[in-house]
Amino acid sequence: MAEERKSMIKIKPKKFKVGDIVKVDFIVIHPMETGMKKDKKTGEYIPAHYIDSVTFSFDGKPFTTMKSWETISTNPYYSVNFKVPAKGKITVDYTDNSGEKNSKSKKVKPKG
Amino acid sequence: MKRRNFLQGLLLSSTVAMTVSPTLLSAEEKKAKKVGPNDMDYKTAETAISAGKEVKESDKIKLTVPEIAENGAVVPVKVEVDHPMEESNFVKAIHILNTKNGNARSADVMLTPMNGKGYFATRIKLGGTQEVVALVELSDGTFLKTAKSVKVTIGGCG
Repeated sequence: MAEERKSMIKIKPKKFKVGDIVKVDFIVIHPMETGMKKDKKTGEYIPAHYIDSVTFSFDGKPFTTMKSWETISTNPYYSVNFKVPAKGKITVDYTDNSGEKNSKSKKVKPKG
Repeated sequence: MKRRNFLQGLLLSSTVAMTVSPTLLSAEEKKAKKVGPNDMDYKTAETAISAGKEVKESDKIKLTVPEIAENGAVVPVKVEVDHPMEESNFVKAIHILNTKNGNARSADVMLTPMNGKGYFATRIKLGGTQEVVALVELSDGTFLKTAKSVKVTIGGCG
């Protein structure tokens, strides 16, 4: 069962045409625990819990896939470029090491 | 009489042993250094990624990191590769690595011509002063890299 995670896809600049290369930022709220930190109350190590894969797709076709490790900062930020081929939808699918799967989408609306 | 004492002695010592051993084991465990879930040193990671192929230093890769990171838990990293992104010739992957964390790997990003540019940015954790390495794979099988040192005042891995 996928937990609802807060995440956001940002496309920069806001105004772009077909053929332009835009910046696609994906930010998600996630603890990215390394497994090396102790819980101050219990003295036990907090288990490793981190996003391990992220896939960016456009209208269902993956254009960037990545492996993410526990060394990425808490509330990860991933930024890639994208050459806009047409109007459509970008989807970011991500999983974490606990097996949790989530997804976020954003419409791509080129002007001209 | 002797046998009885002997048996009692045996029972007593085994009871003592049972209470003492678990404590000894925990102490040993405590002495052992905590290992992360994916620990791997830089050299092993680089060899694994390049499959042992030569990795050349290249100024085609622009790696942007702060010279001094106030907070090792959030170090911005940006990689830009001066190389085409065409179907037959493109930047296939950008790997972000570090030289002194338990796990030398931070991200392995597989790109396609749809990206338009060989670019990736993120924020990583650095446990202390060390180098950040951008290892790039081109579609023709060439491996390139560049590294920059980041001074970390407060480590960010624990």
